[in-house]
Amino acid sequence: MIVQALAFYAFSAVAIASAVMVISSRNPVHSVFYLILAFFNAAGLFVLLGAEFLAMILVVVYVGAVAVLFLFVVMMLDVNFVELRQGFLQYLPIGATVGAILLVELVFIFSAWAFGGGTLAAPAPDPTEIANTHALGNLLYTRYVFAFQAAGLVLLVAMIGAIVLTLRQRVGVRRQKIARQVSRARAEAVEVVKVPTGQGV
Amino acid sequence: MAEFWTGYALPTVITVAQILAIVVPLLLAVAYYTYAERKVLAWAQLRKGPNVVGPFGLLQPIADAVKLLMKETVIPSGANRIVFVAAPMLTFVLALIAWAVIPFDVGLVLADINVGILYLFAISSLGVYGVIMAGWASNSKYAFLGALRSAAQMVSYEVSIGFVIVCVLLLAGSLNLTQIVVAQDRGWGFLGWNWLPLLPMFVVFLVSMLAETNRAPFDLPEGESELVAGFFVEYSSMSFALFFLGEYANMLLMSGMTAVLFLGGWLPPVDVAPFTWIPGPVWFALKIALVAFLFLWVRATFPRYRYDQLMRLGWKVFLPLSLFWLVLTAGVLVAMGWLPE
Amino acid sequence: MPSFPLPPLSPALPEIFLAAASMALLLFGVFRGERAAREASWLAALALVVAVVLVLGGGGPRQLALYGMFVTDAFAVFMKVLVLLGGIFAIVMSIRWNEQARIARFEFPVLVLLATTGMMMMVSAADLISLYIGLELQSLSLYVLAGFKRDTVRSAEAGLKYFVLGALASGMMLYGCSMVYGFAGATDFATLAATLSGGETLAIGPLVGIVFVVVGLAFKVSAVPFHMWTPDVYEGAPTPVTAFFSVAPKVAAIALFLRVMIEPFGGYVADWRQVIWLISVASMVLGSVAAINQSNFKRLMAYSSIGHIGYALIGLAAGSKEGVESVLIYMAIYVFMNVGTFAVILLMRRNGEDVEAIDDLQGLAQTHPALALSLAIFMFAMAGIPPLSGFFGKLYVFMAAINAELYVLAVIGVVTSVVGAYYYIRIVKLMYFDAPKPAFDRPFGAEMSAVLAVTAVVTLFFFIAPSVVVDSAAAAAASLFPG
Repeated sequence: MIVQALAFYAFSAVAIASAVMVISSRNPVHSVFYLILAFFNAAGLFVLLGAEFLAMILVVVYVGAVAVLFLFVVMMLDVNFVELRQGFLQYLPIGATVGAILLVELVFIFSAWAFGGGTLAAPAPDPTEIANTHALGNLLYTRYVFAFQAAGLVLLVAMIGAIVLTLRQRVGVRRQKIARQVSRARAEAVEVVKVPTGQGV
Repeated sequence: MAEFWTGYALPTVITVAQILAIVVPLLLAVAYYTYAERKVLAWAQLRKGPNVVGPFGLLQPIADAVKLLMKETVIPSGANRIVFVAAPMLTFVLALIAWAVIPFDVGLVLADINVGILYLFAISSLGVYGVIMAGWASNSKYAFLGALRSAAQMVSYEVSIGFVIVCVLLLAGSLNLTQIVVAQDRGWGFLGWNWLPLLPMFVVFLVSMLAETNRAPFDLPEGESELVAGFFVEYSSMSFALFFLGEYANMLLMSGMTAVLFLGGWLPPVDVAPFTWIPGPVWFALKIALVAFLFLWVRATFPRYRYDQLMRLGWKVFLPLSLFWLVLTAGVLVAMGWLPE
Repeated sequence: MPSFPLPPLSPALPEIFLAAASMALLLFGVFRGERAAREASWLAALALVVAVVLVLGGGGPRQLALYGMFVTDAFAVFMKVLVLLGGIFAIVMSIRWNEQARIARFEFPVLVLLATTGMMMMVSAADLISLYIGLELQSLSLYVLAGFKRDTVRSAEAGLKYFVLGALASGMMLYGCSMVYGFAGATDFATLAATLSGGETLAIGPLVGIVFVVVGLAFKVSAVPFHMWTPDVYEGAPTPVTAFFSVAPKVAAIALFLRVMIEPFGGYVADWRQVIWLISVASMVLGSVAAINQSNFKRLMAYSSIGHIGYALIGLAAGSKEGVESVLIYMAIYVFMNVGTFAVILLMRRNGEDVEAIDDLQGLAQTHPALALSLAIFMFAMAGIPPLSGFFGKLYVFMAAINAELYVLAVIGVVTSVVGAYYYIRIVKLMYFDAPKPAFDRPFGAEMSAVLAVTAVVTLFFFIAPSVVVDSAAAAAASLFPG
């Protein structure tokens, strides 16, 4: 158990430290790197909880895809970071207040749990009996099939939206027509001419 | 105290020994893979290839390694030092840690985790960070362009690789790599391996694998002719060597993944006497060598793709195709009642 | 591998049909290319009509489906029909306008269909998860629609503003949902109601959660103090989109509001009544006072809709069956008068340009008597002048408030509707007593005339057969209160 405890404290400490660095580092690219580190440690915590599927999905989706695109954008932005940070102190009090309120509320919830507020904790399946990928699949495609499919529709809307708002039909662009290229026969492209010696074409 | 030795120290020592047993042969294989590449390319181009250092030039990779170790590490003045140094390390480490879940035979695996295939997928999707960090930290426009190309390319092809993997999962009914290999033992020898039932997906995977490792004909991130050497143009000496090792280790890893997912891992091609005498790890190594040779063969044969063609292939051909095949696979499995378990 | 039977899907048939129709329409549009906008719009309207038929055909006793995530009852049928009517009107009215504004693209009806699907999910939500997903589906579609005229700065601004504030509101609501879940240990309304019942007052935890949920919902219905986005988005979004905004999402969000407050938390009306009371009063006051100074008709309608939501929330504050019934009647009436008003706004074009200022209506009675007459009907109805439909809407709401002994609320409602009547009637005065401005572009188009005629007739002659709406609203309200 002691190894797990040590791992837990290591992952949590690094996660919190990198989360702090996300908002306090000077360079936004570094912020994104710290964000990725935070994701990683969250994935580590998932593994400790026995939720290895979630851990891997977190890495694949957030670190492998979302953060890459994020990094992509941040690297290409030309923002004056000194200017950007000037409002920091100005907005600090209100931000801190909101944060404190949310924290207090979370404490409420957890204390209600800890002191038995008459809540129903959903039983987690025994990891020795069923792999948690199977357990998740069994729930996702039955109990939550409606939410699952509807979430698919939400993603479809996001895709349509991105295309509607950004795709422009440029005029005067010569597009590659693969089918035409492939179907081009030798006779169309090359003409073989027999050139008599000394007379030219 | 006794508990400490048996409970903690001994397992640690065993694990470290296992890790070394994987990493040392792997690094040797990587070194000789570079040699193999030069030889194969040379034969394809009717040259001789390295033949001076040692018999048949066999010591050439060692000489190259020593040379790179001895050189001075140059860090460009405008570079972001930490990220610049961390990028090649990341690439190299990622290429190594992925091997933790690759099964060499039944039970012959460092970490037999439930979600092995997802772990592999996650690690391979992280490979892009080495490239992107190197490109950004170099503070050079060639490197940066290379990094951007690479990021877009790897993220695009990961999508179709993901769908291909899901097809394989449907056939195996498990995310565990050992289970995936065992599920391919359908009693028809090599005809029962996944490459035949999933033939279009096998092709998609092979091509995406080339794009994912930034190899020819998809080596645009490092296209010499326009980007000099792309994302690692500013690297020299040991940090360059790490990128180099990482790239070749990744190619071997992808070959191993192909062998596990489609070519039946350690299974012998025909389940009769002389073939079954040869131990599983040897078959596995042979299969890896076959796919690794394919990497080199392709490089010797095909010209480089143009970038828009690369993106078109990924998004407009492979994505719909793999999505369609996924639905088809699932449909057939359900309709025929072939779902595993 | 354990096998699971497919849950019965028939209760969700209208939603499934609409989702499938929108995807089919998307394919149709992609293959037909840019020319397909007009056909896609008519097909989308047809799909919505079919959905109305399916909704009406699927009516019946209360039925939980899809593992308790989805519910159909008379309430859902009533609200869904209203939402679908809003969608049909919006699509039909958009066809000519989009072509004239050069934004006629087949994605428009597809997004309207998807948004409508989301709204129907909201109306039928029986679980915090399906509630949130339905809400996101409609919100995301609406963000895109608000920015649909992407080449104009105002439309892009509308889309962005709506998106940022909407995302914030969604986040608040999700936080509230998670708090409720944290305390009650369940997300479906039935279990929530069972778990939370038994106390004299609601525990502090779920109460805080409800307040967050209310904040999110209040944003979606644009109630004060979460209304800031409304005028800018109404003004900036393309007018057919604004017409859609002002009816369908409002109806769906009000439906969600009613269901969430009554079903899981219905036993604690006293606990959440002050919050609704405050929102309602603030909306009515702001809606009537701030509208007075507006010169842009779309902005004016934004404030007007804020006010109307305030009146509708009176019914919710009552918290009784009668109150819910009055909200339903109010929303039904509101849909027709609002669609009609927007039909007039869509027709306000001069020399190929849209005009949106209220002053452009001067002397409309002489240039377009029919148009002026119908707008006058809508304005009188909104002001609540008997015997037009708007009067009955307010009447039922105020009666519900009085029966629930919310006298102050009723009095404030009456006073603000008198103040609000000023700017509605000012428009009538402009049309009938001022010197005429140049005429609007003709022809108006058969479908626009049809929409105007239908909405005007319904608004004008509501008093002849109010029982059609009132009876079904009563049945719908009854289905929300078990036993």
